[in-house]
Amino acid sequence: MDKTQLLVGLGVMLFAAGLVGVMVRRNALVMLMCMELMLNGVNLTLVSFAQQTGATEGAVLVFLVFVVAAAEVAIAIPILLLLARARRTLDVEAYADLKG
Amino acid sequence: MIETALLCLFAGAAALGAVAMLIARHPMRVALALIICMLSLAGIYALLGVHVIAVFQVLIYVGAVMVFMVYVILLIDVRDSAFTRRFSWLLVPGIAGFVALTAVLCIALWRGESASGTAVGAFGVRPFSEVFLNEYWLYFELVSVLLVAAVVAAIAVVKIGIGRRG
Amino acid sequence: MTHPLLLIVLLPLAGFLVNGLVGGRAGPRFVSAVGCGLPIAAFAITVKCFLDLSASGAPIVDPVYTWAAFDGHSFEVAFVFDRLAAVMTLIVTGVGSLIHVYSIGYMKDDRGYARYFAYLNVFLFFMLMLVLGKSLLILFVGWEGVGLASYLLIGFWFEDAAKARAGKKAFITNRVGDAGFLLGMFVLYQAVGTLDMGTINAAFASATPPAVSATLVGILLFIGATGKSAQIPLHVWLPDAMAGPTPVSALIHAATMVTAGVYMTARMSAIYLAAPEASQVIAVVGVATAFFAATIAVVQTDIKKVLAYSTISQLGLMFVAIGVGAYGVAIFHLYTHAFFKACLFLGAGSVIHALGGEQDIRKMGGLARRIPITFVTFAVATAAIAGIPPLAGFFSKDEILWFALASDRGGSTALFAAASVTALLTAFYMFRLLWLTFFGASRMDAKTEHHVHESPPSMTGVLVVLAIGSAIGGFVAIPHYLEPLLPLPAVQSAMAHLEHPVVYMSVALGFIGLAAAAYFFGGAAKRAAGLRARFAGLHRVLSGKYFVDEAYDALLARPLTWISERVFLGLGDRMLLDGTLHGLTGFARRTAGVLARVQTGNLQFYLFLAVLGLVAALGWSWQHG
Repeated sequence: MDKTQLLVGLGVMLFAAGLVGVMVRRNALVMLMCMELMLNGVNLTLVSFAQQTGATEGAVLVFLVFVVAAAEVAIAIPILLLLARARRTLDVEAYADLKG
Repeated sequence: MIETALLCLFAGAAALGAVAMLIARHPMRVALALIICMLSLAGIYALLGVHVIAVFQVLIYVGAVMVFMVYVILLIDVRDSAFTRRFSWLLVPGIAGFVALTAVLCIALWRGESASGTAVGAFGVRPFSEVFLNEYWLYFELVSVLLVAAVVAAIAVVKIGIGRRG
Repeated sequence: MTHPLLLIVLLPLAGFLVNGLVGGRAGPRFVSAVGCGLPIAAFAITVKCFLDLSASGAPIVDPVYTWAAFDGHSFEVAFVFDRLAAVMTLIVTGVGSLIHVYSIGYMKDDRGYARYFAYLNVFLFFMLMLVLGKSLLILFVGWEGVGLASYLLIGFWFEDAAKARAGKKAFITNRVGDAGFLLGMFVLYQAVGTLDMGTINAAFASATPPAVSATLVGILLFIGATGKSAQIPLHVWLPDAMAGPTPVSALIHAATMVTAGVYMTARMSAIYLAAPEASQVIAVVGVATAFFAATIAVVQTDIKKVLAYSTISQLGLMFVAIGVGAYGVAIFHLYTHAFFKACLFLGAGSVIHALGGEQDIRKMGGLARRIPITFVTFAVATAAIAGIPPLAGFFSKDEILWFALASDRGGSTALFAAASVTALLTAFYMFRLLWLTFFGASRMDAKTEHHVHESPPSMTGVLVVLAIGSAIGGFVAIPHYLEPLLPLPAVQSAMAHLEHPVVYMSVALGFIGLAAAAYFFGGAAKRAAGLRARFAGLHRVLSGKYFVDEAYDALLARPLTWISERVFLGLGDRMLLDGTLHGLTGFARRTAGVLARVQTGNLQFYLFLAVLGLVAALGWSWQHG
């Protein structure tokens, strides 16, 4: 197994872990952090492939992902705060308003 | 040689951090695990020679995003029902899904051909910025617009919050 | 003119359309002019056709158009004017026009004046189609059409629920008979290959008759006649039909529509000549109906009901004549009956009009001096129906009695005896009616008594004309006129010498009836009351009309209603149909309920489903390269 395979495998594992975390954890903040973990996993795969093929575009894309992640967190946190204040709990089971 | 060892070290740290994230009860511990994971990733980037990204990883992700999250955790009472019962009812199906997804992706990965050639490309700041600001200038601009939009949205959300409180 | 018969038929139709569409707005004068003028014009054309027929001797045939032609079958619309059709058409248009004129006075202040004349004209249209039609198909169209017109006119004052029900009863009872008629037509068409009446008659009269039982066809057609001409067991609608306006009762339920059955069986005489059993059935049903209805008429207290039962009875006598093969005699009685029965009904209408609506004869009396024209015409018609010579009824009734005894196509003493008793009863109850209505002390209440006045000339004029017809009409030898078409039966040799005694006997019966009625009803009231007390049980049965309506209700109506409600509504509609629908909707709802559980509102669950989908998609792409 060479370097790229290892790193991409790690990236996949981080992504999957983040996904599982979003699914199973009940604290909203922890869910958000798991989403960041997913993004990191993706970044890792991008960088690995970029380094392997020598394409600088991969790094550019990673940079753009950084910016988007930052913007996303900047909005998500206030929204989450409002939601938590309205429901008086961080437990996402209390947010099931779309129950049909 | 040492490179490989460091690489494995950082990779292990990142994996451990990810696992710790999933298990820890207190959100602060989760945040710290995530920070460790991110720092390990930065290390990996540096080892790969993509110094620009490594630096930005630390500056933006750890320095801004995670600090923000730590502040929020500090400000909120986290000892509610989500504290006592960490996992939703999807724990078992979730883990099964995790295994399935990883398996599928990794098998697809290892089935694929090994990369041709090992062009160890290193990116310095100069090559990176040349490509970034020459060919991807449009996306640069778009991303700045996105940031402005995020600022406006954050202010709006804060205003809603103020309005609701009083 | 090129299509005289078509013109005769279409003129009343034009009247119907004009009065129906614009009559409401055009005013009563216009409606009367159109509504009476067109039938009178039709009568004039009929007279002209009759003169042409007499001159040339050949029937006038008027083919109109081919209704349908396919696959070797073809159905034509055509009219024929032979001697039988001539008699019928003259009666229909002649008496019909007179009754139209009478209606001008009778229906003067009615709100539905234009509608009335429209319906009356449409009746005339269908009746003319019936009598002029060349094939059974056209006859049947007319047959159904007059049934419809009858329904419309009986229920003319439809705001009264009872009157509307009477119209419904008439129509439905007719339809029961029509089922038999239709079956007869189907059998005939299958056997002979055409519905043209001339061809059918020729086929049955020929040496090689069609391979079908003439008795079967005869009985089936007679069932239709039973419905239309109110014979047992389908007679129940005619007394109820008196709910309609009196001119309607006169025209439809005395002179013309109810005689359609007699006309139809006379027209298909070749079938009945070939089917002695069917003819016997007709004779027996006819005499039973005649006797039965006469007994009921003896105790009726409504002036129109007496006349209704009298009509049923007289129709029975006509069918007796048909049953013994004397078809021309039946038509003769039809002709005289049209005159005196129409006169009686219109006279009754005049009485009702004079009394401001009273119809109960127990509340009449002493009217002879106060409404003289009505009285005289009514008396003449009563004498005619009772068989007093030399009035019209005497001639026709005497012929019927004679052939009932002596015809070699089914005459017998039993038939003659029953018919004679019926004749006696007829005289009795008709004179009873005359006496109770016009003679004796007045039993009217004060208000009605003040109201009594003679009817306007439009009404009394018609009464006079019809009375004259009842008086001298018998001298027209209709059976002799129809002999070429409907030959009279031969007389049994054993009975030949009884011809004159029968005449004397029928005259005697008439006078005995007159005397008995005068005795019981002309004198003190206690004589009739004493008779009623002596035969109280019989009186109750007769007043209840032998409880036939009640029997039908218990045997037919209630079980049918029960089946409709329990079986068809309860089981069929509610359980099967609604149940299936509700079952389907319930199933859909339950399925949707189960599927809706997917929407938990839980974000993590949705994410899990997405992961599953992702894994599945990756796996699938794996499989397929």
